[in-house]
Amino acid sequence: MEIHAYEKFWLGAALLLIVGFIATVSYGAIGAGVEMIDDDGGTVDPQNLDQHPKFSDPGVYKSGPNEYDVYVIAKQFLFQPGTSEPIRVPANSTVTFHVTSADVIHGFEVVGTNANTMAIPGQISTFTVEVDGPQEYGLLCNEYCGSAHHAMEGTMKVVPEDEFNASATAGGA
Amino acid sequence: MSLEPETENTIREDVPDRPRGYVVGSAPDSIEREIGHDDFDPVGTLVLIFGYFLILVVMWVFMYFVEFLGRGMTVIG
Repeated sequence: MEIHAYEKFWLGAALLLIVGFIATVSYGAIGAGVEMIDDDGGTVDPQNLDQHPKFSDPGVYKSGPNEYDVYVIAKQFLFQPGTSEPIRVPANSTVTFHVTSADVIHGFEVVGTNANTMAIPGQISTFTVEVDGPQEYGLLCNEYCGSAHHAMEGTMKVVPEDEFNASATAGGA
Repeated sequence: MSLEPETENTIREDVPDRPRGYVVGSAPDSIEREIGHDDFDPVGTLVLIFGYFLILVVMWVFMYFVEFLGRGMTVIG
């Protein structure tokens, strides 16, 4: 079979494009360090979250120098913390979210960012993000979870380090 | 007077050589100019395809590096 020169060029370019796609995704995984959220977070009894060492009092915990753990329970139709009081984390820190659900499947999305996971009853979704400067983010549920799903939202506040430390010593975190 | 003209009457006198089964607008069945395989040179198509290719590459780079990686707070662990 004789293939026209232009057609060879186009076939080569199309193959190059596929190689390019794979290369960029590989770069994302290796160079930029983008991770997938998997089941490493382990499981939890959704009926007895009040007996869990952390989910019994969900919120922000300091886990290391400039590293914080945030435990969030999603339930119909709020994030705890997040909805009635904002999640407060210090700027320029590494934050690991541990998200689970007390009832049905919810979503946990920090609006406008790639911090986004499903909140599954019985499963802890764990993911780590690097937080930049002070900013206020919205939180929302992006999995239909019931009649008031559209109203299920919250707030996450990235506050300056000194302000965070001041409030932490004052008792709130 | 019939609405359907008789077929015999519609044969035009000024187009003498229409064979039976001729389709109006079809290409002549005689070869006018014979060229080799690679002499066929559709530069316009090549430019068009190259343009599409360029749009694909630019859109991919923008989508991945600007819209995705530039979106702040990416899951890293």
